[in-house]
Amino acid sequence: MITFLYTGLQMLRRHWYWAARAAAAAVLLTSLIPAPPRASLGDVQRVETEKPHVCVHTRLTEEVDEWKIRQSLDYVREMGAGTIVEFFPWAYLEPADDVYNWQIADRIVRHAQNQGVRIIARMGFVPAWARITEDAAATTFNTLPPEAYPLFADFLAAFASRYAGAVDHLIIWNEPNLAFEWGYQTVDPRAYTAMLRTVYPAIKAANPHSVVLAAALAPTLEPPGSPHGLDDLLYLQAMYEHGAADWFDALAIHTYGFIHSAGDAPAAERLNFRRAELLRAIMTEHDDAAAPAYITETGWNDSPRWANAVSPSLRIQHTLAALELAESWEWLEAMCLWVFRYAVPTFSYPDYFTLVSVDFERKPIYFAVQAYARGQARAEDLWLPPPGT
Amino acid sequence: MAAAARYLIRLVPHLWAIALTCIMILPPRSATHTAVSVEAVQFTIQSAYAEMRVGIDPSAPPFAAFSGESVVGFDVDLARALGALYGVPVRFVYLGYDGLYDALLTGQVDLLIASLTPDTNRLNRVIFTPPYFDAGIVLIAPVERMIRSMADVDGKQLAYAFGSNAHSEANLWSRRLRTFQPMPYESAQYALDAVRLGFADAALVDAVSGRMYARQHPAWLHHTQSVYALPYVIAVDADQVGLAAAVTAALERFQADGTLDALLHRWL
Repeated sequence: MITFLYTGLQMLRRHWYWAARAAAAAVLLTSLIPAPPRASLGDVQRVETEKPHVCVHTRLTEEVDEWKIRQSLDYVREMGAGTIVEFFPWAYLEPADDVYNWQIADRIVRHAQNQGVRIIARMGFVPAWARITEDAAATTFNTLPPEAYPLFADFLAAFASRYAGAVDHLIIWNEPNLAFEWGYQTVDPRAYTAMLRTVYPAIKAANPHSVVLAAALAPTLEPPGSPHGLDDLLYLQAMYEHGAADWFDALAIHTYGFIHSAGDAPAAERLNFRRAELLRAIMTEHDDAAAPAYITETGWNDSPRWANAVSPSLRIQHTLAALELAESWEWLEAMCLWVFRYAVPTFSYPDYFTLVSVDFERKPIYFAVQAYARGQARAEDLWLPPPGT
Repeated sequence: MAAAARYLIRLVPHLWAIALTCIMILPPRSATHTAVSVEAVQFTIQSAYAEMRVGIDPSAPPFAAFSGESVVGFDVDLARALGALYGVPVRFVYLGYDGLYDALLTGQVDLLIASLTPDTNRLNRVIFTPPYFDAGIVLIAPVERMIRSMADVDGKQLAYAFGSNAHSEANLWSRRLRTFQPMPYESAQYALDAVRLGFADAALVDAVSGRMYARQHPAWLHHTQSVYALPYVIAVDADQVGLAAAVTAALERFQADGTLDALLHRWL
């Protein structure tokens, strides 16, 4: 190795003139590489809406091009949504212990503020260095051993402090009642409550104005002991029994309509939009009615192939009916539709939850929600009657 | 003769250029080409896998859906055919879409047969096999109307399902054609009804809806033309190169011996 280096240095000394010329040529050639497209902030905007509870879940963190973040938020504002839910992956923002890279989050926050859109941040996605476990290969981005809860708390405190005033709402984790979202371990309401107990004081110390949201639970009917997860109603009940009420300010809710209408009556053994009312009832039963709720994911899917989907026309009707129903729930702060747009298509049924396509084509449901947010009457005759009728 | 030999000798210094030209004009190696045959890998697969754990999404009829307690469909039958070919029992692991790739990459399943389309963002960790079905958008018209492409739709009535991918495609066509009459219906079924009953000239629908409709109306003479493809493939962990080759070889076998066609006719 030393011989190799020595020979290299000798060559460089002998041919320094050519080496300098090559370096200069390289610099010149590098300057010919076109700069990546930049997105200016543009004029400061504000959301004009008659329905402040209209919200949408975005996926801006996955964007490579900044202009797509601006374009997305531009469309969000024009649709009349004053709030977005956005995912801020821990692994991206703290790639090594105590080493932060805020660039991805900064540009989202910057553009959202410029568009006048409030952000609710969903936090999770564990970096490899924080997965303190014997079998690291068997972990996923959703594996967080209890010994690592303080590391998560440190990260959340850093996030809350940096974006205080810009991002005050933090959702801690996502759907911990699913094994998949809990690192393929047995789901554990007690452990999740312990996580909340660890992170809550740290966030509050970093930003006293922060609103800590307990994770939205996946709507599911999985019975106790199932390897896949646990019924969301049972899980929330267990969280309260383990004392979670003291460690969150509001509850995030995921509720999907699937094949049912927005008005379909709630029942413990049924997954539908009004299941949110059952979760709310559990909050009230545990003297937690003062804490508001945020529906951070909801909607209908219009895939032609998914068993739990409806037609695009029914999707519009159900979504608008749900927005009207949610407006009447005084305990609800926002109703966020899943999902505004994907950066890349999944080529599967999740694509049919979007309001805007990957190439920024606004779907009919986008315009329907926009008309609702503007207080306009529903458009009629969007499609023809069945042929021959 | 001697002149010819002298000419050939003169070509020798240029052999590299001739070779390069030959390489360039040769047809590219097929993407579906596989270096292994079923027989070559059968023993390896049987030795390595006591059972084949197949991740499946049972929410996508007619590919996989619950029928009572069991899951049935095209994907299910394809997995069973794969297991039968290699003499390995198949165990299904039911997963939602969100958990499919994590289950594969954490070794909970050996492969995914779940109406998946190749995802270029996952190519560093996942091998996608050649397709076993094309679920893209198709243009369907009565045989006698001779409508085979976008250009043929100019000046005609085009039916599609409101808000669907076919609707998006129709929007693109509206920018490329001089004129056509868009006819949005509430479902692909109604759009195809409109064509069959003579209310529209052609319909843009997804391939599965088109095939299902054709099954319901076997006497209807129509032409189906692919507009764009949406291939369904099997996914294997990139570390399991041998398994990926075995699955690819099996798909080629199924294509050649008519197994895939039989499954198509059974379910679509």
